Amino acid sequence: MELELDGLHRRYGTVTALDGLTFGVPAGQVFGFLGPNGAGKTTTMRAIFGVASLDAGEIRWRGKPVDERARRTFGYMPEERGLYPSMRLLEQVEYFARLHDMPASAARAAARHWIGRLGLAGREDARIDTLSHGNQQRAQLAVALVHDPELLVLDEPFSGLDPGGVDDMSGILAERAAAGVTVLFSSHQLDLVEDICGPVADLERGERPRLAVRVAGDADGAWAREAGADLGEIEAVRPDGTVLISLTKGADSQRILDLARAAGLVEHFTFEARRLSEVFRQVTGASVGQAEAEHAAKTALSTAGATR
Amino acid sequence: MTWLVAGRELLTRGRTRVFAISTVVLVLAVALGVALPAILSRNAKPERVGIVGGSTATLTGIATEAGRLAGVQVIVVPEPDVATAEARLRSGDLSVVLVNGREVVVKQVPIGGASSAGGTLPGALAQLAGLAKLFAEVPGAAAAAANGIALPVRGLEPPSGSLANRLTGLFTVVLVWVLISVYGSQIAMGIGEEKSSRVVEVLLSSVRPVQLLIGKVLGIGLLALAQTAAMVAAFIVAGFAAGSSLVHGAAIGIVVTGGVFIVLGYAFYCTAYAAAGSLVSRQSDVNSVIFPVQIPLILAYALSYTVIYSNGANTFYHVLGFLPPTAPVAMPVLYAAGDAPVWQVVVSAVLCAVGTIWMARVATGIYTRSILRTGARIPLRQALRREPAEAR
Repeated sequence: MELELDGLHRRYGTVTALDGLTFGVPAGQVFGFLGPNGAGKTTTMRAIFGVASLDAGEIRWRGKPVDERARRTFGYMPEERGLYPSMRLLEQVEYFARLHDMPASAARAAARHWIGRLGLAGREDARIDTLSHGNQQRAQLAVALVHDPELLVLDEPFSGLDPGGVDDMSGILAERAAAGVTVLFSSHQLDLVEDICGPVADLERGERPRLAVRVAGDADGAWAREAGADLGEIEAVRPDGTVLISLTKGADSQRILDLARAAGLVEHFTFEARRLSEVFRQVTGASVGQAEAEHAAKTALSTAGATR
Repeated sequence: MTWLVAGRELLTRGRTRVFAISTVVLVLAVALGVALPAILSRNAKPERVGIVGGSTATLTGIATEAGRLAGVQVIVVPEPDVATAEARLRSGDLSVVLVNGREVVVKQVPIGGASSAGGTLPGALAQLAGLAKLFAEVPGAAAAAANGIALPVRGLEPPSGSLANRLTGLFTVVLVWVLISVYGSQIAMGIGEEKSSRVVEVLLSSVRPVQLLIGKVLGIGLLALAQTAAMVAAFIVAGFAAGSSLVHGAAIGIVVTGGVFIVLGYAFYCTAYAAAGSLVSRQSDVNSVIFPVQIPLILAYALSYTVIYSNGANTFYHVLGFLPPTAPVAMPVLYAAGDAPVWQVVVSAVLCAVGTIWMARVATGIYTRSILRTGARIPLRQALRREPAEAR
């Protein structure tokens, strides 16, 4: 593991943001850090950069506690985006490159490279506050990437992006990971980022494969009730009569096909991937929306009148 | 890191139009302020005094003596009658008319009433002519007027500081006050900008708060120093070129003292302004938090006029000269007015330097604890606490 987070604890007043969070991020992988708002994702990422303090726990980079020097090899895109509004684009990107220990000439060349790569060529001398919202997002990404970081930490990089922007962003993340960079990003929009965080999601899904089966003329999936618990359990029946069956470990899917055939003409028979949001519900017992509403209510209670 | 931050401040502020224009305006203002009085006094026209009736020789003597007392050169112009004299007075040909033994006529009643003209040419004329009238009625006394009638004034001690020195001191103090408050608020605004635009979180992911703070005050301080140097150069060049009395002798010592205290004053206040700026999340709130920081400066500045225009500073102002928050303004004034010897200036400078270190410590602590907190304005008491009750 390149990046290790070990037993992170953080309380804000009565709200527990982190309660012993522990995980590791392997090198060269796009690692999705998913969860509803209030799960402590931002606190964790800010703690990596030392801009949020921890009550307990340790963050290690390549086996050593993260220090200032290590941080200068990291790239960061905070949840609340921010650049100097009146500074010119090229100068700004170059300035941040130099703050990450790049010599002047290399910093300028890298700034030009990333401005071009992110489709901002021609706007080098534009003030940041004259750029569109989307272009400001790109500038922010350029700032995070310009010094060729070894660890890239992006807090909600997809929020506020249009579908084209989401594709561009995920393309860049994949490309960086392929170049050996460790990428950690957070999101609370689980469905949006499904494709990007493949390994984690597949791990969860692999436990119990799911079958979707439809038999002609059977709108409520009555046939499936005859299948015993040794085969699987019915998760849901869709309005068109498709039955979703969560297979019991080691069960034979062909026996379910036989059952369906016996009931009538089988119109649809396929393995189906679970949505990440469903996995989330399975693990936590609540939907993302419910979890967020609960957190919002708790936070409002504990910080009424206080600062955010 | 610190120098990179300072470099950015220098670059982005130094090339703005505001900086260029303000530098030119300030340098011109200084040059004009020094050179104009000197040029004007050299070309001062003599005052024309009209006389009507009586003995021309006697009246000319009175007018000349009055001019000497009032410190102006006088040309006596005999007029045939009062009506003609009044007409020329109205048109501005004459400044004042002396009508034999009866009255002194001026165009406008002096502010404060006809009898309050003492110290001016009409006032001196009125007094001398009145005395002459008295002499005329006391036989033998008239001759005395020819030798001058004012009693000599004898001072027990030499003046503590010449007026020119005091004015140089005033110039220095205005400079200290303007530079500290202008550049101080730039520091606070700059930090407010970093906080409100949220760029500070990106910055602090690779730079320590202390580096960011020091870089900022260093960069802005260098700009302030450059502007000060330009103004002092303008002061000296324009002063010598115009032959102004402001730049002679001891005045150079005053300018040097002023320079030392500009640097000390900036050093003392820059971190305080930075701490104030870090307490707010919106730039529009900056002005309300920096006002308390400015109060000692305003006090010392406002009271400096009582020292410049009087002999012997009061004890209260003398104390202000040794307190680090007020010393940068008060001490140059005291020195310029001759109320503080050099050793006191040195003691005050040392105290101010010690105060600066203390202020830097406290302010850096406040800044470090407040810079990443957004939302409502942070109460100072909370910012001073070591472990702030954070919430989010």
